Amino acid sequence: MTKLTRRALLGTIGAAAAASALPAMSAFAADRSIRHYWWGNPERDKRTFAVIDAFQKKNAGIKVSGETIGWGDYWTKMATQTAGRNMADLVQMDYRFLFEYVNRGALKPLDEFAGKNLMIADFDKGPLDGGRVDGKLYALNIGSNSQVMVHNTRAFQEAGIDADLINWTWDDFAKVCEKITSKSGGKMKGSDDLSLMIETFESWVRQNGREFYSPDGKVAATAADVSSWWQMWADLRKAGVVRDKNKTVILDPPIAESGIAVGDTAMSHYWSNQLVGIQAVSKDKIGAAMVPHKAGGKPGQFIKPSMFLSLSRDAKDTEAAIAYMNAWVNDPEITGILGLERGIPCSPKIRAALAPKLTEVEKLSVDYFTAIQSKVGPLPLPAPKGAGEVRDAFMRIGTDVVLGKVEVAKAAGTFIEDAQAIIERAQ
Amino acid sequence: MRRFFARNAPAYVFLLPWLIGFFLLALGPILASLYLSFTRYDMVSAPRWIGWGNYEYMFTRDRRFWKALEVTFSYVALAVPARLIMALGVAMLLDKGLRTIGVYRAIFYLPSLLGASIAIAILWRQLFAADGVVNQVLAMVGIQGASWITDPDTSLYTLVVLAMWQFGSPMLIFLAGLRGIPRDLYEAAEIDGTPRWRQFTRITLPLLAPVIFFNLVLQTIESFKTFSSAFIISNGTGAPADSLLFYTVYLFNEAFKFFRMGYASALAWFLLVIIAAFTAIAFFTSKYWVHYENERD
Repeated sequence: MTKLTRRALLGTIGAAAAASALPAMSAFAADRSIRHYWWGNPERDKRTFAVIDAFQKKNAGIKVSGETIGWGDYWTKMATQTAGRNMADLVQMDYRFLFEYVNRGALKPLDEFAGKNLMIADFDKGPLDGGRVDGKLYALNIGSNSQVMVHNTRAFQEAGIDADLINWTWDDFAKVCEKITSKSGGKMKGSDDLSLMIETFESWVRQNGREFYSPDGKVAATAADVSSWWQMWADLRKAGVVRDKNKTVILDPPIAESGIAVGDTAMSHYWSNQLVGIQAVSKDKIGAAMVPHKAGGKPGQFIKPSMFLSLSRDAKDTEAAIAYMNAWVNDPEITGILGLERGIPCSPKIRAALAPKLTEVEKLSVDYFTAIQSKVGPLPLPAPKGAGEVRDAFMRIGTDVVLGKVEVAKAAGTFIEDAQAIIERAQ
Repeated sequence: MRRFFARNAPAYVFLLPWLIGFFLLALGPILASLYLSFTRYDMVSAPRWIGWGNYEYMFTRDRRFWKALEVTFSYVALAVPARLIMALGVAMLLDKGLRTIGVYRAIFYLPSLLGASIAIAILWRQLFAADGVVNQVLAMVGIQGASWITDPDTSLYTLVVLAMWQFGSPMLIFLAGLRGIPRDLYEAAEIDGTPRWRQFTRITLPLLAPVIFFNLVLQTIESFKTFSSAFIISNGTGAPADSLLFYTVYLFNEAFKFFRMGYASALAWFLLVIIAAFTAIAFFTSKYWVHYENERD
């Protein structure tokens, strides 16, 4: 023990304390080259890089470099690049982040290009206008989607379900869950437990005649909305017709671990453009149902732009960037490569061109889309800043409810309070 | 003065790479984060000075901040002793003068190299899942295991077990310390007929005190900074129900998920204060319980 003196010891420890980091930033620029940044998955990335190749072949002078990353890290990287004034020329944009980025001045409006080198005059007006903020077009719709209750058609058939899956109600839903569970002897439950799924809960609130957020960006959903939602699922859990609670509290699981893919349940909630991805990991043929309605209630579901393409403030060669953007929504070869993977295109011409070549599951999503047109409500305003955090709070507080650790009414009150505080702080 | 240089110059030469790195790469961001902790900064618009606003919010209104402290302190209080006891135990087993000791040392060190990795965190999540290996083994002996990871009451313990398993570096230091204890003390004790346990408490522990102290301080600092395993196992959010909301996970979320860089900087500086305080406490109390063989001053 002679080697370790007090002084040497203290010195060593002193060095082992603080740490801090700021993101490193870099800036590169080259002329006649554009960067395109998107969140993806293997299938989407494959298609997007094929699009880039096709575009470069037709436009020899322009080099496109693609950058892709998963949804989870996408916005972190985007915020870092925005702060470093190093955004990609073209960025994939999501409806819930659009206001935030426009308000920060990170995007350029597209109106001046429309009709000149961006041909969008014949596009569906509703989906296109989803990309407008204060009357200006900041984001080009590259696909629309809506909520969908994905279901296992084999299980539905075996249980002899004959419900009208477009017009059904929550009561019908509970009965279906019951039938499927009893038919399979409890091996396959009726549905995933959607207690923590704020996207479905938002439909619930709309069915009750309110929006989750009021036009001035306040929380308009009430504690009664929340407690009735959580209570309905608590009853279904008690009846044993929805998925095990320990699976339910695993947040945002990959598609392959959802009840429908694993075979634990006969129904899960997703977005309609994900049908392709879910079919790829499911043994049985899937079908598409609407989110159940409230008897005598308002329409809860809505059709929204699933993804946008936006021109960033940092774009240098806007002409090249707009040419690329235009090809994305008009070029037959490129839209053919993209298919419906990002959602339903809002150009009627492109939809007609795609129709004869659709796969079975793509056809399912188109048919579903047609069937729900008259059953959906208007597109809600984009969520205010802080909505992502509210989503986290919903899952966090809901976890205690699902595990039976907190009373439904008390948890509902806590959530509304927290949500209001979060929104207030975020402004 | 000249003697000082003659004596210490080589040390500073060896320190040079670290010093250069510190001044060139770390110092700027550290100071910037101190400044940012007094601002509201979302990474896109310019930082706005708000004085002590972040700190005030932290202490008076932020319930999750207190929850994060609770989780982190519970973890440190459980994980540090658990890991040190494990490390000392294994070190004493290995301190038998085996010829193949090098091999064992390497094998026992392995978990520490792996333990901090993402892969192990993912593996851990699988092991302790409701239908994971742990419960399957328990089921064999007729015990119905809990859903360890997804139950807020048990999730923290899975991380403590993970921490315990990464005992490698304190073990190596203990081993070196044990080697340094003069053998003749034990021989004398044997002759006097002192039982093993008394040898441990009267000889091993006091002579090992400086090493224990060293390990304690380092492991406490390490444990306060635990991040990747908690981040992975809790899906990045501190789930289930904030039971894995480690301070660093909360900090990361505030910074890179909600883009409150100013607030996150304030959190980071407060973490530094906590760690410094614990280190200071260990220093100042050390003279009462640490025995240095060559004490000079």
